[in-house]
Amino acid sequence: MSDWFERRIARALHANVPLGGDARARRAVMERIRLAAAEGHPVRRRRADPWRRSRNSILGISLAAGVGGITTLSVVAPDARPAASALSSVVIGDTVVSTLRDTLRLVRLMFDAPDARRVAIAGDFNRWDANATPLTREEGSPRWSVTLALRDGEHRYAFVVDGTRWVPDRHAGRSAAGETGRIYSLLNVSRAAN
Amino acid sequence: MSDRVIIQRVLDGDAEAFSGLVDRHYARCARIAVRIVGNREDAEEAIQDAFLRAFKALGDYEDRERFSAWLTRILVNQCRTVLARTKRRDALFAELDPRRLEFSVAAVLDEGTWPELEDVLERLPADQREAIVLKYADDLTYEEMSRITGAGESALKMRIQRAFARLRAMLQEVPSV
Repeated sequence: MSDWFERRIARALHANVPLGGDARARRAVMERIRLAAAEGHPVRRRRADPWRRSRNSILGISLAAGVGGITTLSVVAPDARPAASALSSVVIGDTVVSTLRDTLRLVRLMFDAPDARRVAIAGDFNRWDANATPLTREEGSPRWSVTLALRDGEHRYAFVVDGTRWVPDRHAGRSAAGETGRIYSLLNVSRAAN
Repeated sequence: MSDRVIIQRVLDGDAEAFSGLVDRHYARCARIAVRIVGNREDAEEAIQDAFLRAFKALGDYEDRERFSAWLTRILVNQCRTVLARTKRRDALFAELDPRRLEFSVAAVLDEGTWPELEDVLERLPADQREAIVLKYADDLTYEEMSRITGAGESALKMRIQRAFARLRAMLQEVPSV
């Protein structure tokens, strides 16, 4: 059965529809993917404690890097102590995540690293995976940034520069040492203060 | 970068790499979903849900099957869920305007588009619509269609045959040239 009618049907059905070229629709997919990733999906093998694997001293790295800070652009707990300089709070996430079961808030993190080839963030929200959450460099700027979807509560994290150097956020409100003595930063996420 | 390489990167923790799969397969998914559920809004929802389910289940994906076919199976299930919820399969559609049909037949000869086909597709029974869309919008074999839909190959061929008979009647086929 391959006549004129069938060929026309096939051609018409094979033609793309407007939705297929909609960049906004694709971005919407990735927003949900990021939220799922922040929840630990897809399930994969748990990696070893990166703090134990790191060959570098985080404290030494942070001193050597001389990097600038992180700016949290979203929902920082009112009781979180603001950093000395660049910390500010801007709500950007509530409308995006309002349809989800769990309350997640979008938090934008920034990090200045003019000489870095790549920067990522590792934390308890991505199982300390140094490859899972890369930052994007802002064009013509030493600043790298990323937006995370985080549950309410306290999160531990650090930046990973060029895949090997683990750097705590010196502008974070608080920091703490892990069992191995490594230093990580603390971020409190909760309902917006405004 | 192949689907397999991207999937491995995602499983290694690079969630952003999944955008490569979204970019590669979104238009194809849209071709399928829009035709099955009948409107853009529900199609977009079905596609989002399908990609999300695929992402979450990526650890279970086995590359014995093409990723595109695996994703299509998930998508078809999501489309069925949307259809069941909205009961669109039972919806009634307005009669076509014959003058518009005449125009569209002329247009298809020039551009390959056929707006009225999109309308009459919604008048097909859901199983026939699903079969014809998978075969012609996604170039699937009957074997792949069988795995996706759960129907036997002979049943699928029958659905296609019946779908064509209905479409010919509804579109008032012009004589072959």
